[in-house]
Amino acid sequence: MSVLLRLAVLFAALVLSATSQALTQPDATSYGYPLANPFEATIATTPPALRPALPDDEDIDQADHSLRLRPEREFSLQKNFWPVSRLTYRLARQDGPAPLVFLIAGTGAHYASSLNEYLKKLLYGAGFHVVQLSSPTSYDFMAAASRHATPGISSEDADDLYRVMQAVRARHPHLQVTDYHLAGYSLGALHAAFVSRLDESRRAFNFKRVLMLNPPVNLYTSTSNLDRLVQTRVSGIDDSTTFYQVVMAKLTRYFREKGYIDLSEALLYDFQQSKEQLSDEQMAMLIGSVFRFSAADIVFTSDLLNRRGLITPPNYPITESTRLEPFFRRALQCDFDCYIREQLLPMWRVQTNGNSLMQMVDQISLYALEDYLRRSGKILVMHNADDIILGPGDLGFLRRALGERLILYPRGGHCGNLNYRVNANDMLEFLRG
Amino acid sequence: MANKPFLPALLLAVTANLAWADHITDPDGFTRPLEHLKFNPGLDQREFERASFDALNVYDPWERWNRRVYHFNYRFDEWVFLPMVRGYRYVTPRPVRNGVSNFFANLGDVPNLVNSLLQLKGRRSMEITCRLLFNTTFGVLGLWDPASRMGLPKHSEDFGQTLGFYGVPEGPYLMLPLLGPSNLRDTAGLVTDYAVEFGVNYLDVAQTSSEHPEITVLKAVDKRHVTNFRYGQTNSPFEYEKIRYVYTESRKLQIAD
Repeated sequence: MSVLLRLAVLFAALVLSATSQALTQPDATSYGYPLANPFEATIATTPPALRPALPDDEDIDQADHSLRLRPEREFSLQKNFWPVSRLTYRLARQDGPAPLVFLIAGTGAHYASSLNEYLKKLLYGAGFHVVQLSSPTSYDFMAAASRHATPGISSEDADDLYRVMQAVRARHPHLQVTDYHLAGYSLGALHAAFVSRLDESRRAFNFKRVLMLNPPVNLYTSTSNLDRLVQTRVSGIDDSTTFYQVVMAKLTRYFREKGYIDLSEALLYDFQQSKEQLSDEQMAMLIGSVFRFSAADIVFTSDLLNRRGLITPPNYPITESTRLEPFFRRALQCDFDCYIREQLLPMWRVQTNGNSLMQMVDQISLYALEDYLRRSGKILVMHNADDIILGPGDLGFLRRALGERLILYPRGGHCGNLNYRVNANDMLEFLRG
Repeated sequence: MANKPFLPALLLAVTANLAWADHITDPDGFTRPLEHLKFNPGLDQREFERASFDALNVYDPWERWNRRVYHFNYRFDEWVFLPMVRGYRYVTPRPVRNGVSNFFANLGDVPNLVNSLLQLKGRRSMEITCRLLFNTTFGVLGLWDPASRMGLPKHSEDFGQTLGFYGVPEGPYLMLPLLGPSNLRDTAGLVTDYAVEFGVNYLDVAQTSSEHPEITVLKAVDKRHVTNFRYGQTNSPFEYEKIRYVYTESRKLQIAD
């Protein structure tokens, strides 16, 4: 029986790899991305020599603008949060008429996150207008643009995003736009899919192409994976040395060896080539920690705006001089799972008369869009076989739903190969049509 | 030159391939990266919390004042400083801006040299001396930076680092109006470096700028122009705490280097 099963699996693998060959899918040997370790790829991204040529920041006609979308927040938000009472976005404009791409950032990320900046440069260089948007899970978006300020219900987040996009469009009436495209990475890619479906009925943009880069398939799998990353068994920590101290000590030794401090874009890559390099467990812990800080921001902001009293006591006076550290400490102890249980799921149950966690997960993940993904020829997914936010079966789902419109790269970790030349070419080729 | 990083990349690819060769691949192509990690069996490790709490322990008795200054700086940046920088970028062509940056950076090599000498760092002092010589002569009073092209990297040494080098503790964290994060030790260092710059009066700039305040303004605008930091870029309600941690750790790095 087990032999039969194995044979069946082998056969399936052969068939799949055969079909994928036919679709000009990159394979491990011809792809050429050098980092085989997904954690390293996620942290260090692509070695500078293998990145595409990008225009200089100064050669881009770009500016930040801000929108007042929820005027009541100017009064309900406490004084300390004045910077986020308006939603800021960045627009890079071409001289004449051009297609426009909306870029949606990943979990907790800002419109000017490094990946959004990279994608902007790439697309601007190829002749697109680009609008960079913060993720609905980011602090500024939650405060300034979100109706419920409890991100995670993908259709609601997409609705918020859609309003933002319409407001952006109305703000620049003289911008000459030939076509609208949509792109997002990580969680932003999931949002892009939901926004695109919303656009099918609202028809404000009629998106021509939708590019999804490394999306989560099952959102709960992804958050569980990220929560688990800080549970790796890391060497070097003891009663007197914390994990951060271990990393800082390594960095200190690395710079001392090098002779001077140089914070160039090759730093992380060079560091991983040195003898101070981090182990897989340490890298996983580092990635997990970054996401835990995003989780803490979401937990704190959502609780504060909705006055739930889990982190900040309701009506606690916060002025510009108030210490926020006690609340920060409380929020740091709440991971994504805790946020889902304590804030997201209860709200969803009230709003929809909903039932179990699994029902919610079904509605907020890509499963909810399976038919739409199958039907809609304008959507392309680029993903990696070793992405750390995926679980078993997720790629199978994407293959079934998208068929030829899934480009699966053999390596790259989570978004580590987006700035690899081959990927950059594939993106441009798709968006140019 | 462009091919140089290929070799380590190739070596890495080969060694990494060996390490990552024997893993399971699902029929759909998924390689299950998390299954390679060693996890804590109970998944109840609190190391993230412990490390983060420890990172929050920065001596900050003047926090209420510091936070007000942080907000003041944020507003000043948005309403005055950054608009000035944008105007500056708009009216000056790039070579002029680079010249201005190089010019002030060259002047800054004087306190760099003094502090490097005070820390008895021989090799580094030699490098900074060469930088000063080349940049002031071939670089036409520092408007151009041939030294960096000749492989003499820029070092940054200030009196705060010198004090730290000899074991002076940081003292309370201090947010300075307009200048940003600091601590008591580094503030004392800042004042000393300023006095040194004025005392040495290299290229007669310190003397002239006391008569022409516009030079000081230009220096400030240039400083902001070359500083990439933007308020709000951490995009977190806890930006104050994050800046405090990063500042403290980066100073430790600079002192150790």
